[in-house]
Amino acid sequence: MEGKAPADDFIPAGLASLGIEADEVDLAVIGAVHRLLWAPILELLALDTEGLELERCPDHSKAPQ
Amino acid sequence: VNGGLDLGLGAQAAAIAAGDVDPGELLDATLARIEERNPALNAVVEAFPERAREMLTAAPEGPLHGVPVVIKDEWPLPWRAQRFGAAELMAPTSPGESGPYRALRDAGAVVVGVGNMHELGAGSTGSVSVYGPARNPWDTERCPGGSSSGPAASVAGRLVAGAVGADGLGSVRFPAAYCGLTGLKPTFGRSAMEGHHMAAITTLIVSGPLCADAADCRLLGSVLFGEELDAGDPAGLRIGIVRDPVSKDVTPEVDEACNAAIETLRAETGGEVREISLPGLEAATLAAILIINSESMSGVTPERLNRLDPELSAVARGTLKYRMLLPAAATAQATRVRTMMRRRLASLFDEVDVIAWPTVPAPAPPLEMPMVELPSGTLSADQANVRGAALANLTGIPSISMPVGLSGEGLPIALQLQAAWGRDELLLDAAEALERANGRRWVESLPPLAEASPTEA
Repeated sequence: MEGKAPADDFIPAGLASLGIEADEVDLAVIGAVHRLLWAPILELLALDTEGLELERCPDHSKAPQ
Repeated sequence: VNGGLDLGLGAQAAAIAAGDVDPGELLDATLARIEERNPALNAVVEAFPERAREMLTAAPEGPLHGVPVVIKDEWPLPWRAQRFGAAELMAPTSPGESGPYRALRDAGAVVVGVGNMHELGAGSTGSVSVYGPARNPWDTERCPGGSSSGPAASVAGRLVAGAVGADGLGSVRFPAAYCGLTGLKPTFGRSAMEGHHMAAITTLIVSGPLCADAADCRLLGSVLFGEELDAGDPAGLRIGIVRDPVSKDVTPEVDEACNAAIETLRAETGGEVREISLPGLEAATLAAILIINSESMSGVTPERLNRLDPELSAVARGTLKYRMLLPAAATAQATRVRTMMRRRLASLFDEVDVIAWPTVPAPAPPLEMPMVELPSGTLSADQANVRGAALANLTGIPSISMPVGLSGEGLPIALQLQAAWGRDELLLDAAEALERANGRRWVESLPPLAEASPTEA
């Protein structure tokens, strides 16, 4: 298992669990997008937003209430 | 000359209204121009000579009476469903009267053709499309910008004087920047969106005008908004600049041209430049990407993804499948970041009137290899460009891109201004002030392809 990237398991397992078929080209693209996005996604998830009061039914055409 | 073909949008409308230009002759000249220049640009993927003549015959007296325009392949027309630059969409489509079409028709405009676009709206370069890429009139080997590639190339190549694009993550501003145009991303919800296949779902996408200058954007914007975008005086403009990667990770030429333009704008308006802090920009960019990915997958099933059209690009096929794997928690967190950034901006707009930074960090890259060299290294243009654009879509604020220079290679450089919700008019006022101050040098610059033409004989 040495050198195995997290995506090696996550992507095929995730696609299979959803019943999504993917050929080699699909997997290459998915891997590239995953490498680009995954670290920032983990950083986003780790962002401390506790205490932030969410907008209720936000109107994006206006400033927040 | 040429039935008014080389006039701006407002000048065409005024010349027709004054009887100085015959709209039938203008339409014929426009169609001839498309025939002549489009093979080099692939900007217009379908022209409608007969439909256009019918529209002209029925055109009401309005602010754009008899003026030819191009509309992006993102909205249905009564005689044509949108294709979104792709072999297939993830949502059903059919011909119909979209909001932008209706607004144009009711203003008396004549839709002469559909503009090319980046496949599924998912790219800032315009380098991928089911029709083949549109090409940049400044250098046809360069990206025109996306996703509203065809509308921008149509205007920059002077096929028409105005075009309607759409902006979900910068898709009006990027092609405006690459093609040396002025492009307005309106406040969310302010411009016509009916008939868009994501109209009921999106919280980011807006229609917007692409024109040579701010006055023309004001005119076409007023039509799309369904209300007059009145001109005002931006005297004392407070310009906020952000010293972070969005502003600093740009090529030296872009940095220099944008800084000079900001100083020119400050001097022209008698305003001031304030350095401001806007933490969270990177998180905001990712949040916008996650939200638009999530919204675009509404109604898409795994089974549907197993039946994708083989003509879709490999990138589109893989990306669509990857979107199904994105964690729901990340999208929920993106919503929290959205709230956070909206509040930060609301607070900032008490201190400044506009926030300025380069629209794109480098001029248009080659179509063959859409990568850009930045101080931080070599990045895909998409990755680099989205950093400066996503905030406006995430938060709903308006934004404008305007030309402020040419690179050593003769490619346009652009500055972006962003303002508080509903202050679209202020952005247009500021852009006009900058045009005045620099003698309209950049908005009147023409790409080589548009400088001489057999139709000018």
